[in-house]
Amino acid sequence: MSRAAAGVALLVLAAPAAPAQRVAVTVGPQFALASYREVASGLRYQGTGFGGALSARYRKLSAEAGVVRLTLDPTTGSAATSGFTATEVNLWVAYDVATYASVEAGFIRRTADPEFDAQSVGAVRLGARSFYEIGPGATLLFRANYLAAPKFSGGGHAGFSIDLGLGLDVRLAGRLHGTAAYTFQRINRKTNPGGTGEIDAPIQETVARVGLAVGF
Amino acid sequence: MTWHLCALALLAGLAAPAVAGAQAVQNATLRRAQQAYDNLEYRQVVSLAQAALRERLTGPERARAYELLGFTYGALDSILKAVDAFKQVVLIDPERQLDPNRVSPKAYSAFDVALRQVLLVRQLRVDSTSFVGGRGAVPIRFTVTQPARVVTRAIGTSGGSYVIDSGAWNGQVNLSWPARLANGDPVPAGNYTVVVEARLGQNAFSASQPIRVSHGSVDTLQSLTSLPGYQYLPETEVPPQSWRPLGLAFLYTGGALIGTLGLESSSLGSGSKRELAVVGGAALVTGFVMTLRKPAPRPAAANILYNRLLRDQIARRNQDIAKENVARRQQVQLTLVPLPKPSSAGPR
Repeated sequence: MSRAAAGVALLVLAAPAAPAQRVAVTVGPQFALASYREVASGLRYQGTGFGGALSARYRKLSAEAGVVRLTLDPTTGSAATSGFTATEVNLWVAYDVATYASVEAGFIRRTADPEFDAQSVGAVRLGARSFYEIGPGATLLFRANYLAAPKFSGGGHAGFSIDLGLGLDVRLAGRLHGTAAYTFQRINRKTNPGGTGEIDAPIQETVARVGLAVGF
Repeated sequence: MTWHLCALALLAGLAAPAVAGAQAVQNATLRRAQQAYDNLEYRQVVSLAQAALRERLTGPERARAYELLGFTYGALDSILKAVDAFKQVVLIDPERQLDPNRVSPKAYSAFDVALRQVLLVRQLRVDSTSFVGGRGAVPIRFTVTQPARVVTRAIGTSGGSYVIDSGAWNGQVNLSWPARLANGDPVPAGNYTVVVEARLGQNAFSASQPIRVSHGSVDTLQSLTSLPGYQYLPETEVPPQSWRPLGLAFLYTGGALIGTLGLESSSLGSGSKRELAVVGGAALVTGFVMTLRKPAPRPAAANILYNRLLRDQIARRNQDIAKENVARRQQVQLTLVPLPKPSSAGPR
């Protein structure tokens, strides 16, 4: 968490120092909606939260970072008795390989508080994204990331973990941008509690973030 | 024969007044000779013209007296005498020219024979011209009436003398003088006299034409800002309005929806789609709005390339112009103008 925060802070600090004509930077707050499910269909949560996002582009190289803090409560009919707070940090670094496509890498780190109310996850992101400017100042983005080498606070492993994303950035007026991002995450976690054999303990999360950003 | 003489005299009479009218005759005897010629009294013309020649006459009057004799002898079929008379005319006035359409063929042929029997340099012309030193020449034309050794010089008033040409010539001669010194420099500015000297045995004749040579700076060329016939093209173009933005919004949102539905875990059940609805809805609304809006100008690659080529071409041309201007600033524009001619021609 501390390293991720340091990386984001470094990007924020480095961006204004770079010449404005060469590096395009947007930064701003976001409101988030989230759904979270774990292990079985009965263990489901929904909630909202706040966060921030930063993006920067220099020629073919681009980077995105986002931090969101979600308060997740059990939904109606959920087996869970109490909610928890999740803090999620995402980072992507991408390189354009074509006019409308990039390859990207990064990481995800999600921690839960209280610690044992939900799984904390950390993984490396590897994937690609497609982006298209559909109009003046309006860009759509679609990404697919494989979450490699995931680590869980409760142990276990995941052979298949994927993260899909849909993003939108619209220049509303001057430097003011409107941003929206959707993330669907599926982690096929398997665990072996007490050595009795592997059982499925999948994790599924969807997050929508909507916010404003200022461009530099 | 009488009729033939009358016709000939009529022709001569038509021509003579035109020539005579050009100059006023002061000598009374010569005026009487002219009058007798006009009255076709040829015997009287001969005696009066010869009498006038024994009196004190100006050059033009003397030439006119011999010319009357030439016409009259021609009319009287005394061709040899006519030739002798015309010889005297051209020796006094080498530029004298008869119009073959206005004088009798006999008189004209006698005049022509006379020209061929006397060494003359006639009709010396130096054209007014202007050129960059080393890149042009002054045209000089003259006529030599007999085969002769002809030397053409330009003699400066300050003492410099430059040989323009030396050769054996006959008839019409066309020379060109580059007006340069042996080392390539242009001749100094000033007044010059172009002297054409013809020599045949003991006979010699010269003609001259004064000219003025002036130096000036050569005009430099302006730098180009555009090429004639070629214009810069707009480097952006507005694509036609289309449904593409909305289509792309559907495509991207649909991709996210299909991915979500396809990857949802069966054991966790179908989740809420409100997150996708919020972001997907925003994407679709944005796509719809962008479909209605005027599309953003896009870079026109072909036009950008064309403009770059045009700029490169203009830059290359301007470099050439700059080099040319450097050379031009070291050059001299020579201007040669013929000056009024003093009566300097004559046998030597």
